[in-house]
Amino acid sequence: RQASGGAGQGSGSARPQPLEPSLLRFLVCPLSKRPLRYEEATNELVNEELGIAYPIIDGIPNMIPEAARTTKKQPPAEGSKQP
Amino acid sequence: AAGLCPCWVLLASRRAALRALCGSVRGLAAGPEMHFGFQTVTEAERREKIYQVFENVAKKYDVMNDSMTLGLHRVWKDILVRKMNPCPGTLLLDVAGGTGDIAFRFIDYVRSVRQRQLQRKLKHHQNLSWQEISETYQENKFKSLGDSQVVVCDINKEMLKVGKQKAQHHGYSEGLSWVLGNAEELPFDDDKFDVYTIAFGIRNVTRTDLALQEAYRVLKPGGRFLCLEFSHVSNPLISRLYDLYSFQVIPVLGEVIAGDWKSYQYLVESIRRFPPQEELKAMIEDAGFFKVDYQNLNSGIVAIHSGFKL
Repeated sequence: RQASGGAGQGSGSARPQPLEPSLLRFLVCPLSKRPLRYEEATNELVNEELGIAYPIIDGIPNMIPEAARTTKKQPPAEGSKQP
Repeated sequence: AAGLCPCWVLLASRRAALRALCGSVRGLAAGPEMHFGFQTVTEAERREKIYQVFENVAKKYDVMNDSMTLGLHRVWKDILVRKMNPCPGTLLLDVAGGTGDIAFRFIDYVRSVRQRQLQRKLKHHQNLSWQEISETYQENKFKSLGDSQVVVCDINKEMLKVGKQKAQHHGYSEGLSWVLGNAEELPFDDDKFDVYTIAFGIRNVTRTDLALQEAYRVLKPGGRFLCLEFSHVSNPLISRLYDLYSFQVIPVLGEVIAGDWKSYQYLVESIRRFPPQEELKAMIEDAGFFKVDYQNLNSGIVAIHSGFKL
């Protein structure tokens, strides 16, 4: 469509939009300010220490603590929001 | 708007009391009670209400800005970026930058600076073959921004969505990224950015002191803090006219154009509640910034505050 070399947006709704790679240089957990790991499988940014994962929606990482999902050994897969 | 006059007297005294309280514990939240425009609410309520305001206005945000300010907001934003005078390679963090106005201007600015750099470089190289000239243009095609980057951070999903759509529509993609984050709790590492801007956003932050501290933290040493915000008019005549316009015209425009009187009522009230130039300057200094100064635009209707992390 537009002549641009940005993040991929060609394919339809199946594949979630990937994160802009340069962002990973700056992004940290807003709570602990520690580095995050990009988990491609779930398209999330994971903070191993605190056991939380921030979702990436439409290529935009949601870095609001309330939106983070806990990654500890809990039965429910998604929807278990931090209070 | 009609019922505003008698309320004004009541609220004015309350406003004064709150101001005194805020003054004595400057930099800290005034207890559990805060202001949302002229209402008094809890901190949590304030955040929620402000989120809803911007959720409601997001799609009409730009149109409303043009109508309310008669297009002047474009000039103010141009002045901000010109004051910033970024050179290629600058890393900008634009907070509360939802719809991308500052980010796009930044990109345009560094792109044109880069163009001029290239032209000057070519002018100084005499006796270049056409081959060499075209090669120079080729290799710089992918660095049209010269490694400049802007990260737009906003707490509101709807505003970011609008911003991203605008970017796609106008062909902005290189050197631009979007993050959903809270100005009071930035998801960025220390000492990372050359410039931090917040245009017409700091007024909506609930804990201004925290936002300023975060701004200080993420800036590199030598980095610049720039804040563009509605401020206070000292000239009594202009102030009167401005009040008239704000309280009689703007909410009506809000209703007519965006179908949302209350959001724009909040907007106008929040401007009146926000600290004036000197007070904001002191808060910025409290956060650790040096050489803090401000520049009034249009008699103080808008002010640009600037500070440096040294």
